[in-house]
Amino acid sequence: MAYRQWEIMERAATGPFMEEKDFLNKRITAKMREVIKKYGVKFDPAHPVPADDAMADAVWQAAWEFFRDVGVYNQDTHRIMEFSEEEMREALYCAPSSHTVGLGKDSRVFGHRTVEDPRPPFVIFSPDITYDEVDFFQACVAYLKEPLLDAICSPLLEDFQGRAIQSKTPFEIGGSMEHAMHLRSAARLMGVPGVCMIAVGTAETDVAQVAVSQPDWGIRPSDGRLVSSITEMMTNNAMLNKAAHYQMYGSFSGNLTGTIYGAYAGGAEGTAIMQTAYHLMGLLTYGCQFQQNFLFHLKYGSNTGREMLWVVSMYSQAVARNTHLVQDSNGFTNAGPGTDMLFYEAAAHAMTSTVSGANLWETAPARNKHHNHGTPLEARFAAEVGHAVARQGMKRERADEIVNALLAKYEENIPDAPIGQTFQELYDVAKAVPKPEYLDLYKKVKEEVGAMGVEFIY
Amino acid sequence: METIDRLKEAMVEGDEDACAVLAAELVAEGADLKASIAVLAAEMEEVGRRFETMDIFLPEVLLAADAMTAVMKVFTPELAKDATVAKKGVVVVGTARGDMHQIGKDLVALFLGIAGFEVVDLGTDVDALDFIHEAERANADVIGISSLMTTTMPGATEVVALLKDKGMRDRFKVIVGGAPTSQEWADKIGADGWAEESGGAIDVVKELISGRA
Repeated sequence: MAYRQWEIMERAATGPFMEEKDFLNKRITAKMREVIKKYGVKFDPAHPVPADDAMADAVWQAAWEFFRDVGVYNQDTHRIMEFSEEEMREALYCAPSSHTVGLGKDSRVFGHRTVEDPRPPFVIFSPDITYDEVDFFQACVAYLKEPLLDAICSPLLEDFQGRAIQSKTPFEIGGSMEHAMHLRSAARLMGVPGVCMIAVGTAETDVAQVAVSQPDWGIRPSDGRLVSSITEMMTNNAMLNKAAHYQMYGSFSGNLTGTIYGAYAGGAEGTAIMQTAYHLMGLLTYGCQFQQNFLFHLKYGSNTGREMLWVVSMYSQAVARNTHLVQDSNGFTNAGPGTDMLFYEAAAHAMTSTVSGANLWETAPARNKHHNHGTPLEARFAAEVGHAVARQGMKRERADEIVNALLAKYEENIPDAPIGQTFQELYDVAKAVPKPEYLDLYKKVKEEVGAMGVEFIY
Repeated sequence: METIDRLKEAMVEGDEDACAVLAAELVAEGADLKASIAVLAAEMEEVGRRFETMDIFLPEVLLAADAMTAVMKVFTPELAKDATVAKKGVVVVGTARGDMHQIGKDLVALFLGIAGFEVVDLGTDVDALDFIHEAERANADVIGISSLMTTTMPGATEVVALLKDKGMRDRFKVIVGGAPTSQEWADKIGADGWAEESGGAIDVVKELISGRA
């Protein structure tokens, strides 16, 4: 259901006018400073996984007031879409707490989780980076072979027909269709034809997203789609086009938002509040069914540092405790595939997110920027950590201890993290399985993390 | 406390009103405005360094930059009377066609302004030819193009290609940047400079402009 879709879309044209610079510099930053102070939100570096219910609730209250008073800026019309307290309450009350995504035997329930929920997280597998066109299909196959995969976002394409895919050109539409077709074919060949695809990431524009909405070879209503916000609390007509299309086509829509630590929201406190507020933005502006959280550090482009894990934990807990919304947490590591550091980071992110009430979206390695640098094995590891800590009923205090121990292994190396190796170097591409040496590294780290207190199921 | 010290303090605190008053006081005192600007610029560089190490965050930098702008509004009419004051250079910046991600471009624009360059910010999703037309109009030295998506990187390639097609490649230096970009890619498309982050972009612009002098 899209909450009051057309009344809200109209506000993009009729809301109060403001210059964009004033919206960012005065409205956003001024209100953020005010609510941080008013609600006493404070970063605690000693506890990356805080067991502080009062602080989580303070983050929620701050986010509520922030969103109510700031609204969402449309860059195309230079107008602010504003929402009343009553609308926020109504939309929140009416939002479903779970969705059955995918088709037939491959369908899964993507639902709200509570803090320290013993139910395992819904896990979306995705490297979030581009692959060579020639290896794209086998990369999709490798991900789809993963048993803990509940949904796939899949690798992205950089080239189509030997030419770089350029946004707003026919090559974007062609590349996006190729992405959807390959993913659909790969899913059938791997025996999961109804798997939920959250796609397609290659399609940057609204036009390309509309082009792949085709139930036979492309994206079905049973699949997930993403519509993003622009940093911070901004949208534009192309985003609103995507949102409207997804609702009317019938796909499950996710609000793709990443607050940038160090930018307009400020430090850890503001980043946690902003990311919490994005759950309200997605629900009210785009009518989203879930929230895809991928906040990252301005300097490093990752979210596995101490301050970032605290933010992940805080906004996840704030939303889990105060709403029944469906949220997931997207891991962005510093290190790349083939390194033990990546596995430590993935474990810390998955554990923090899971005990804090989030579902998982794993894993974007090497700061999400290096072509071919992503494999399903690190996502498998993160998923196994998430399932393990949920099933064993891990409490936040225990997760905090283990995450601190994991941070001790990689924290100092964040600035100079190794980018690691490519999918082609670490996988037998023809068979779409990891090479023995990469499996050995995974097993070694799994043993080590198990010894720290994670009771892996197998 | 000397007026310049109070002004420096007000600027770091982001107090625009106090900055305007104190800047007017300096003018009235007959202070050496070029020397005052040098003092304030050094302080802004320190603000930039603290941002680089994440001891402070973007809102604090923006407040200080706005306060510096308030000072310059008072100083500029006075400096216009001084023929020895030279501009550092003009840079046109924007994100490549199709790219709505503005934070990287915003930071580069902000720090170029703080460093004393005149910045023409074209915003996001800028057509390749618009970069060139605006650079011509502003008599720019450098065109800066930011791309955060692999699908918008070809937009930067297009600017370089159009400059060549128009026979204007030597007229402007072109710098590129953004998360998925690299020095290797910048070399491949024929750009003059690339930097991994905003601080590095300022150094690249300085170097390119000094090379043109």
